[in-house]
Amino acid sequence: MKHFLHFHAAAAVALVGTVLLAGCAAPAPAPASEKPSASEPPYRPVASVREIMNSVIDPSVDVVWNAVKTVIERGRPTEHAPTTDEEWAEVRRNALVVAEAPNLLMMHTRPIAPPGAGSNAPGVELPPEEIRALIDKNPEAWDLFAQQLQDAMKPALAAIDKKDAQALLDAGDEIDTACESCHTTFWFPKATAATH
Amino acid sequence: MKTKMVLVLLAAGALYAVQPVGAHHPFAAVYDTDKPLTLTGVVVKVDWVNPHGWIYMDTKESDGTVKHWTIEMSGPSQLSRHGLKKADFTDGMVATVKGYQGREDPALANGRTLVLKDGRSFYIGSVGGPNDGADR
Repeated sequence: MKHFLHFHAAAAVALVGTVLLAGCAAPAPAPASEKPSASEPPYRPVASVREIMNSVIDPSVDVVWNAVKTVIERGRPTEHAPTTDEEWAEVRRNALVVAEAPNLLMMHTRPIAPPGAGSNAPGVELPPEEIRALIDKNPEAWDLFAQQLQDAMKPALAAIDKKDAQALLDAGDEIDTACESCHTTFWFPKATAATH
Repeated sequence: MKTKMVLVLLAAGALYAVQPVGAHHPFAAVYDTDKPLTLTGVVVKVDWVNPHGWIYMDTKESDGTVKHWTIEMSGPSQLSRHGLKKADFTDGMVATVKGYQGREDPALANGRTLVLKDGRSFYIGSVGGPNDGADR
């Protein structure tokens, strides 16, 4: 989609250049990086980032996180972990959803929230238009955070493939760090800076 | 139909009891750094789970009543890195938690430091918490 937008921008610049320089010289060709890719898919975002978070990432990452845990009641621990192939397959299915979802987030024309929606926590979470402005100011960081989440899912998927409950528990921390890094940068840039 | 409704409500109540707030949530959205607190009470239950662990603590109020607190910690890997073990949570143990109260729920807190009865102190703050020096 980004390339598609670049194509339009490049086309407009080329058109203006053609008019201004008509009869003088042929306009320079657009840099290779701005040329549209013939194979660029015509992405059409339907959901907002907030909806992707709430409807795709959160429910799936919860399955991954909750797959392995210990409940300690009155000093007595009870261990929980997938035991059957079916249970491991269910965790893997959800881990794949979380690993692929960042590709949806890297579609830069996706709105932050549904039309008319405001901040989920006014005064704490930035309103959607300010989040959008921050992302537009630093889209590379946005993409890096999205890829950081994908990278964080790799150890989780490896642990699932080995049916290694402890490794899956350990991988959960890296996933949380990836989530929080992005949230504190774009959603709550001021709130976590408080000191007491 | 009435029985079905009761079952649905019971199921909803059970879910709430297991999941104090959405499993994953940013610190700033749920906790108030203007509401620091120190709680001392009996640890009745611990969830050692990602992305946040949970301590369920009973404290005695000044009027003699017991208040049931739900206290968020960091995830298991972070807790282990800071030296806390599952075996540290023994039956009937008394502990002190310093942290911040929830914005909406007065019985919800985010723990930053856990001090056990034997004097050992652990950083239990979750990722994304305030830079308040608790981790140093």
